Amino acid sequence: IVFFFRTAEPLEYHRSFLKENCRPDGRELGEFRPTTLNISSISTADGSALVKIGNTTVICGIKAELTMPPSDAPNKGYIVPNVDLPPLCSSRFRPGPPGEQAQAASQFIADVIESSDLINREELCIEKSKLCWVLYCDIMCLDYDGNLLDACIIVLLAALKNARLPEVTINKETDLAEVDIQKKRHLKINRHPVGSSFVIFDDSIIIVDPTAEEESLSTALLTVVTDEEDRLCAVHKPGGTSLSGEKLQHCINRAITRNKEISKLVDKGPPSQAKQALVERAIWKENKDSML
Amino acid sequence: MIQNCLKQRFEHTSQLLRFCHFQLGFKSFSFSVLPMTVCPQLLQTDTIEKPAVCVIYPYCSRSKSLHDRAVINCQYSMATFSTAERKRRPHGDRKSSEMSLHLKQTFEAAVLTELYPRSQIDIYVKILQADGGNYSACVNAATLALVDAGIPMRDYVCACTAGFVEDTPLADLCHAEESGGGTSLALALLPRSGNIALLQMDARLHQDHLDALIEAAMTACKGLSKVLDGVVRQHLEEVSVLTRD
Repeated sequence: IVFFFRTAEPLEYHRSFLKENCRPDGRELGEFRPTTLNISSISTADGSALVKIGNTTVICGIKAELTMPPSDAPNKGYIVPNVDLPPLCSSRFRPGPPGEQAQAASQFIADVIESSDLINREELCIEKSKLCWVLYCDIMCLDYDGNLLDACIIVLLAALKNARLPEVTINKETDLAEVDIQKKRHLKINRHPVGSSFVIFDDSIIIVDPTAEEESLSTALLTVVTDEEDRLCAVHKPGGTSLSGEKLQHCINRAITRNKEISKLVDKGPPSQAKQALVERAIWKENKDSML
Repeated sequence: MIQNCLKQRFEHTSQLLRFCHFQLGFKSFSFSVLPMTVCPQLLQTDTIEKPAVCVIYPYCSRSKSLHDRAVINCQYSMATFSTAERKRRPHGDRKSSEMSLHLKQTFEAAVLTELYPRSQIDIYVKILQADGGNYSACVNAATLALVDAGIPMRDYVCACTAGFVEDTPLADLCHAEESGGGTSLALALLPRSGNIALLQMDARLHQDHLDALIEAAMTACKGLSKVLDGVVRQHLEEVSVLTRD
């Protein structure tokens, strides 16, 4: 009978849980779902990563190609993110050209890369005005259960950290590029931006890391991206009900804590799942009293 | 390099399938389920092919619906990072359309569509990493997806490629072997009855050799069907234990 209540009156169902300060899947209002990370799963890509936040699964593959640098910035390379939401991840997406949500997500990721100074575009340039790398970051959602943007940022970060590019030199005589597949080096990552998404329920209750159901019932969305030095990289609140400055500050504090949780995950490589869940909870609990 | 690959093959049986690992119920959703098929480890070389498949439970589609059967709709696409060269057009190119059509025809032979009139079953397959035998991996993954979704079928559909490389029939070709210029045959089989759902071969082959090749592919498919069956039963056990608790 609980199932019928959930499908017939989803908002009431969620409200009954929120009154007790918890959510249908047993999480507290400020708690993220367990996050797992898997790197180098795709050997045909130059770098790859797979992230699961609860049921939301996102994979990223990095392919590097050589091209001429842009004429207005001859000493910079390109980094091109692309978010794909295929129909297999959720019944809300139909086959065909990328929909609004995919395009908006792609643009958001491009903005985060730019604003957080994640990678130095000058590093991608091999020879000024002649040759540079273009990194195609293809992010694909395999299973959509809310909180897409957070997962995309984490997976992009992990894949870039994992990516290895071969050495390229330009032969002075023939003026052609010579690629040395044997020598590969990692990319230099300057910053570690991590995002946290929130939704607002009924104009007043803020919950963290929404599932797809919670997202569809919410009245506003908010995503905050911070880097490891507790600086803001992006705040994205596309319309919806208004939010007071104080609540926004709480969200930013929560995002800063989340950054610490995820940095451990990305830096040390994936520990075992149970251990990771424990690490996250420990960091969250110790900072819990300082917010909300 | 291909010679080395072949020599390694000859040392083991020529019918050896690449080690297959299947995972069912990777995602479950009220009516759509997502199993992921992973086929790794070709003996010494490290080659993997991964399609991810989703099947959506039948829903009504007015324009193309048939009054007495379900319509099966397949879409095949490859991730841009799945091949060594970045794939610029993952959907809509001729190869994808051809594959989609083949998958549709294969499953029309196996699914009991008469039980769902005026409905549509969507099968979406996405290749995450390609290393030969794309079609076979898709068919195997889609079979598991349909089983996971609870859609009744006549039998498992197992598929495998086979080819002649230097007069030896080999099963389950990898990309290097397929593109090496030898013959390659893709076979989709309903193992219990031994009926062939789809057979495709594009190369020159003397008709005396055809039997040997089909035999190799059929043996591989039958082996594969046992693996699929084992995985389904194991998954059922796990799920029933969970729901019991």
